[in-house]
Amino acid sequence: MMSFIGPRWRKPAWMVLAGAVFAAALVIRGGRYWWLWVSLVAIVMAGRAFLFYMLAAEDDDVGALAGSRADERQNLLSLRSRALAFNVIAVAAFIGLTVAVAIRASWWWPFAVILGITGLGYLAGLRAYGIAEERPADDTDAQHEAPSPIRS
Amino acid sequence: MRNRVREQRTQRGLSQAEVAAALGVSRQTVISIENGRYLPSLPLAFRIARFFGLPVEKMFDPDGEEAGR
Repeated sequence: MMSFIGPRWRKPAWMVLAGAVFAAALVIRGGRYWWLWVSLVAIVMAGRAFLFYMLAAEDDDVGALAGSRADERQNLLSLRSRALAFNVIAVAAFIGLTVAVAIRASWWWPFAVILGITGLGYLAGLRAYGIAEERPADDTDAQHEAPSPIRS
Repeated sequence: MRNRVREQRTQRGLSQAEVAAALGVSRQTVISIENGRYLPSLPLAFRIARFFGLPVEKMFDPDGEEAGR
């Protein structure tokens, strides 16, 4: 999808796009100081994009990930880090929900939404990468079934 | 899992960067494989074996100790 953009520019481009979407939301929201918030978002996202662009020049794992040129080991590192982040988010959301329920706070529902989304995301991952691939074993056909060496 | 990547590379007088470029991976990944910190995927293991002209079971010994130890 992003192949027309050079690898080093892909992550900065996503950040600029995300910043533009968020800035648009701030413009729609309006208010007295909307331009101040939009400027702040623009500065932060431009700074992040520039940081990732500079990191992408480094000859290390972080540089490879920032520059969208990661190999299988670096992709695995990123995957594990994202799994850890997912776990941290789920635990934090559970703690938040528990505290909110205990003190009868009205802000319990964002934690419940986050928990629900992470749970659904996990199930979607199982379906996409695991369960959907399961098929009956080839050797279940009785004609081809080899006698088990442990069968008495 | 013991592997002979470092041994084969040094025998041929190649740098880690040269091997990495030939295999299409990063230099850090070659270092990790040599040190036994990373077990390559099956396709990469075959690419490594093919690059050094050895059968994959000669490059990677599941019964051996890790190269980094």
